[in-house]
Amino acid sequence: MQQYQIPSLYNVIKYETIGSTNAEAARLAALGEEVAPDGTLVWALEQTEGRGRRGRNWQSPTGNLYTSLILRPEVPLGQAAQLGFVAALAVYDALGNIAPAGHQVHCKWPNDILLNEKKVAGILLESQGGGAEQPAEWLILGMGLNIDSHPQDTDFPATCLRYEGFECSLDEVLSAYTKSFLSWTNRWLDRGFEPIRKDWQWRSIGRGEEIDVRLETQTLSGVFEDIDEDGALLLNRGGKIQRITAGDVFFPGSAG
Amino acid sequence: MAKNPKTDIDENLVRKLAALMDETGLTEIEYGVDGTNIRVSRAVSHSVAAPAAAPAVAASEPVAAPITPANHPGAVKSPMVGVVYTSSDPDSPAFVQVGDTVSEGQTLVLIEAMKVFNPIAAPKAGRVVQILVESGSPVEFGEPLVILE
Repeated sequence: MQQYQIPSLYNVIKYETIGSTNAEAARLAALGEEVAPDGTLVWALEQTEGRGRRGRNWQSPTGNLYTSLILRPEVPLGQAAQLGFVAALAVYDALGNIAPAGHQVHCKWPNDILLNEKKVAGILLESQGGGAEQPAEWLILGMGLNIDSHPQDTDFPATCLRYEGFECSLDEVLSAYTKSFLSWTNRWLDRGFEPIRKDWQWRSIGRGEEIDVRLETQTLSGVFEDIDEDGALLLNRGGKIQRITAGDVFFPGSAG
Repeated sequence: MAKNPKTDIDENLVRKLAALMDETGLTEIEYGVDGTNIRVSRAVSHSVAAPAAAPAVAASEPVAAPITPANHPGAVKSPMVGVVYTSSDPDSPAFVQVGDTVSEGQTLVLIEAMKVFNPIAAPKAGRVVQILVESGSPVEFGEPLVILE
């Protein structure tokens, strides 16, 4: 039987069950660099309080992948968002490496990953400290990927690998993701955000199309023109470009 | 401590009223019970039953022009472009409210940029005198968010 390995640069801490991998990673990160160095990976088989954007619940039964990576990059806080795109590309490639033929994988702004136009993985980053010029003390890169099951009642349709006909284990997915994340991170560190932005763009969904962006209190509609040098979404609303840094994207033409 | 006789000042009540005034942004509150009326006001001269509490409230009034939020020494500014939230999620209470005393490192607001969530912490202990942003609104780099004194 094939062994799937996680690159040794990671310091893996595995839990049978945990409240939230992001919360646990934040707790460990706060204990300092000796306890939780850059590359510490909190991995849980089950989360009882998994979280998504703005406190939303992330259903986390056993069978899916729940990870939170502690990072201590030397980049100012304003550039931390670039890591979300790096991670999205890493998940994209990981899926590409384990996918049987004939599947569509897309990146959805800002850092969701779609499989056959349904959400299969989500990323949520949290930072601590830092400022315009100073790097954050640490960043937590949370990534959840549906392998065995997916929620049914989401605003944007969801899916899981098994439902789409993939036959792969949790270990295989984790191994593919951690390897791919290393190579994308090195690319980002060596060459900056511009190549990442370009790579993300041609793997993305909805560019040049009418989209809805749900904000906290309103929904904006327009054409998804591009992402800018910070990763913000540029929405063309009747000829006027609006720059959006946070929101949920929906495609009014499709089932979502 | 024994309960205050009716003729004494009910300090707890005055404190509650002062806190309520801060929370609601009112400048004056009058409260009556059993024929005794207590009025708490931000203007010291109007204070009837709370000579001790009123100056403390009045002293923390934001100073008028020419100090603007941008050049206020207690202004906590946004380190990044993003969207600001005053609570951890839409159903939770605000991290801080005007009048709250905060300790150094306490979260004041949260800023999201491309799904990176950054808590903005109080750089020093103090009192929240103004919250300049509305939850869910975009903020620019360097924009003042909260004023501490």
